[in-house]
Amino acid sequence: MKISLFFKDKMPSFILSTSFYLITLLMFLAFKIDSSLIIVFSISFFLLLLSLFLISYFKKKSFYNQLLFNIENLDKSYLVLETINKPNFYEGKLLYQALYDINKSMSENIKSFSLQTTDFKQYIEMWIHEIKIPISSLNIMAHNHKDKFDKKTLKQLKKIENYVDQVLYYVRSNNPEKDYLINEVELNKVIMNVALKNKDSLLEQKIDFIVSNINNKVYTDSKWLEFILNQIINNSIKYKKETTNSYIKVEVIEESDKTILTITDNGIGIPTIDLPRVFEKTFTGNNGRLKTKSTGMGLFIAKNLCNKLGHKINIESKEGEYTKVFIIFSKNKYYEVAR
Amino acid sequence: MKKILIIEDDESLCLELKELLENASYKAFVLKDFSNILEQITEITPDLILLDINIPGTNGEVLLQNLRKTSSLPVIMVTSKNTEVDEVLSMSYGADDYITKPYNPTILLLRIASIFKRMENNSSICTYRDLTINFQKGIIKKSNIEIILTKNEMIIFSYLLNNRNKIVTRDELMTDLWNNNEYINDNALTVNISRLRAKLKEVGFENAIETRKGIGYILL
Repeated sequence: MKISLFFKDKMPSFILSTSFYLITLLMFLAFKIDSSLIIVFSISFFLLLLSLFLISYFKKKSFYNQLLFNIENLDKSYLVLETINKPNFYEGKLLYQALYDINKSMSENIKSFSLQTTDFKQYIEMWIHEIKIPISSLNIMAHNHKDKFDKKTLKQLKKIENYVDQVLYYVRSNNPEKDYLINEVELNKVIMNVALKNKDSLLEQKIDFIVSNINNKVYTDSKWLEFILNQIINNSIKYKKETTNSYIKVEVIEESDKTILTITDNGIGIPTIDLPRVFEKTFTGNNGRLKTKSTGMGLFIAKNLCNKLGHKINIESKEGEYTKVFIIFSKNKYYEVAR
Repeated sequence: MKKILIIEDDESLCLELKELLENASYKAFVLKDFSNILEQITEITPDLILLDINIPGTNGEVLLQNLRKTSSLPVIMVTSKNTEVDEVLSMSYGADDYITKPYNPTILLLRIASIFKRMENNSSICTYRDLTINFQKGIIKKSNIEIILTKNEMIIFSYLLNNRNKIVTRDELMTDLWNNNEYINDNALTVNISRLRAKLKEVGFENAIETRKGIGYILL
């Protein structure tokens, strides 16, 4: 609260008082009143005016300055009312009450939205569990009646499965509640599950899946990690080169404070300009536009999940040569990760 | 014949599962009435149970807990609830395995087979005609001749042996290999099978593994 602006605001009453003073002065002169009385009156009048002005300024200053300062410094400025003292002047009380009422009605409004979102998320999760039952049935049907289903059907089924998974993990990655569990997980097992999931496409597209001797254990949620790896392997399969002998190599580097899992392919790679943006939501890049339709959600969700689990994920690539994904698990910092 | 009980509320999935298990020469039962499940289990006396978490009236995890009070029957949780928490809970309640829908049918069969194998507990040494096979050491033996098999050859041979006189598809063999962290490709499988044939020839079984064109292999 600036004193100059406050003064400017009070200008009308100041002018009014001054004109009142001038009228009185003229009257004093007309009645030929002693000049010493006029001086005394003038001094006391202006003293009164100044003190009224200052009192009202300081009274308001402490309240408004606190309010403005706290609004600026709180990261959730809507909580400001909780941090300031209730004012003791009428205007301030009015403002305080108004802010309180606005806040309350906004909170109610937000609450109804958040309830709606939670409802929606719960419905989606339930729906996903439901849709998995017919997908399972179809999977087994295809297995039981190989003569009626061909590989193409199974491939489409796999695609449905993957898209359903993406929705599930998108919902989960946005949930403020914790629905993951950090455990000691054998990387070997997770890699095996992902490999088995993609076995048919890998064999059909003649991509060699090379896994060096991996017996490392990391702290993670195995289901989430499985999803993350699945997105990466899916991309490697999708963006393979048509000409060379394709491979996907999975390796582990063990360091004193971290375990690094790398997935390398010799696919078409990612253009340098697209590289910094591959984790952005709905970013498809040049490759995504070249190849079949891409949603640009897979890596975005993978990154989100990694952040929640406390892992780091990075991509290194050279266009036309290779793509290498790093997932970094920190070691012995269980509580830090779990938090 | 091993009896497997399916506890699952989706009817069409149950029927497909039943067919799958019967094709793999198990005897499959489907639970139709979800009251008094425990009594029905004692009546049917299955060798293994496939249990869904979401079943009407009760909950698979609760059912499993109650079952474990009286029985150590192997149970595989088959569920669409794909979270670590559910898996850890189910395993702590005494499930023998946990598979999430939608699953690969071949893998389900592999998991079932491996549980039965574990139960029988004599899986490390087996015989084929007059051969003694030691799976753990990867050795086949005929009187005084000893032949060492590689891990891949052993996986293929044991799968063929477990399904003796049945046609085994290349996909099944491949799934079993991948399920054992051996991510080989089609050519490698062909090479491994011909090597295995050559090794069997050395002990006098030249035509033990027959190729059924377009379908797979059979161990006679």
